[in-house]
Amino acid sequence: MTSPSPGAGLEAAFLAHRDALLRFLRARGAGDAAEDLLHEVWLRIQASTPGPVASPLPYLMRMADLLMIDRYRSQRQADKRDRDWTEVHSDLAGVSAEPSPERRAAAAQEAAAVLRVLDRLGPRAASAFRRHRIDGVAQREVASELGVSLSTVESDLRIAYRALGEWKERRDEA
Amino acid sequence: MTGKDTMRDDAIRDQAARWAVLTGEPGFEDWEGFMQWLEADPAHARAYDAVSAAVAQAAELAAQAPEPVTPAANDDDTDHSAHAAPRRFWLGSAVAASLAVIGSLWVWHGSSRDLYTVETAPGQMRSLDLENGTRVDLAGATVIRLDRKDARYAELDTGQALFTVRHDAARPFHVEAGDATLVDLGTVFDVTREGAHLSVGVAEGAVGYNPKAENLRLAPGDRLVAEAGAVTLDKVPASQVGEWREGRLTFDAAPLREVADRLSRATGIAFAARPGAEMAISGSILVTPVRDDPQMIGALLGLDVRREGDRWMIGKP
Repeated sequence: MTSPSPGAGLEAAFLAHRDALLRFLRARGAGDAAEDLLHEVWLRIQASTPGPVASPLPYLMRMADLLMIDRYRSQRQADKRDRDWTEVHSDLAGVSAEPSPERRAAAAQEAAAVLRVLDRLGPRAASAFRRHRIDGVAQREVASELGVSLSTVESDLRIAYRALGEWKERRDEA
Repeated sequence: MTGKDTMRDDAIRDQAARWAVLTGEPGFEDWEGFMQWLEADPAHARAYDAVSAAVAQAAELAAQAPEPVTPAANDDDTDHSAHAAPRRFWLGSAVAASLAVIGSLWVWHGSSRDLYTVETAPGQMRSLDLENGTRVDLAGATVIRLDRKDARYAELDTGQALFTVRHDAARPFHVEAGDATLVDLGTVFDVTREGAHLSVGVAEGAVGYNPKAENLRLAPGDRLVAEAGAVTLDKVPASQVGEWREGRLTFDAAPLREVADRLSRATGIAFAARPGAEMAISGSILVTPVRDDPQMIGALLGLDVRREGDRWMIGKP
């Protein structure tokens, strides 16, 4: 193949839109760490092999967005129960491979609580959430699977996200 | 924290959830719009992080749990017994019964309009896209008529609908509700009709009320109530307009009958006001817990709740 690799296209887009990405990271709350996080995006581009990317800038924005969400989550791991949960589920080297039975039980309880929240949304919204967030199906496809409009799926997901946000707040306050 | 702060935080959480849905779709393009929202208030990024992290964690937890049977799109109930245990998670709620759309039946209305009817069951919500950028969200127990030939027209027979209208000065959007005519002036607005009682709340833009008679202009935060020929204007926080779509109901010195109507509409469970009990109810509640346990409304709004036949009677404690 003589065409440039997709990675090279992303790198070029990164360099062309460096300022926009930096502004985005600051808007996302990166503060003084914005430059470091921008470098992290750069490293992730080089490590990734995404295949052809139709619109590089939205792709890079989402990459930066997900980086910020990961960062938020790892900062919150100071919360002990989040740490327990990660230790039960993580395959990462260096994390205990044999969680205690208590931890397993706690994780199972948490999973049951999440399923209860989803259940209360009703079957359509619960299916939409599962297909989109667990099976990774795009919202547009979920809409055609369920025979409803895209805006209905968006509205179902919005309600699901709101409910899960409340679940998480209750859980962290408890 | 004051009530005002709580309301503001709730509105931010709603917006954050909305953005989290949008940014999660491959091909999402409006990063500029998202950035502007983030830059408007540092609390926005925090709320977006919180909801995104909660959703990511919940998805991971749910993925570990036993796989439920995905209901088919034409969901019939024949295979319930075979999958009783896993389906418990998914079909337990009353919403399952109201999932079926009651249907759209075509109604001819004179020669000029080509109307069809869309209904929702109590406890159901439905979103209709009328044309690019214009949408109607229907609350439960609502009947609306739309025009096949004119996407800028709706008649609200009964119930509640939130109109999100892309403004076009050349073709204003008309809503007929009983004797009243509403005309959008670029707008998100909510209309409730119960018989002769009409209530209109405006979240964004402006709405004209009866341009050929009273000709009132309603701005964001204005609420108009028309009943028995009398029109009154008061205020409603713009963030509360249409909040029922997110499963929240707020009552501001509302009479018992209105509380019962709105609860029935939102939950699909029949509530009624006990005769003779006049009370003004205030409070903001989430619908889900009440749907799970109708008795909860007693604790949430300080009411006495009793079951009578297939209805829940609410009244003074």
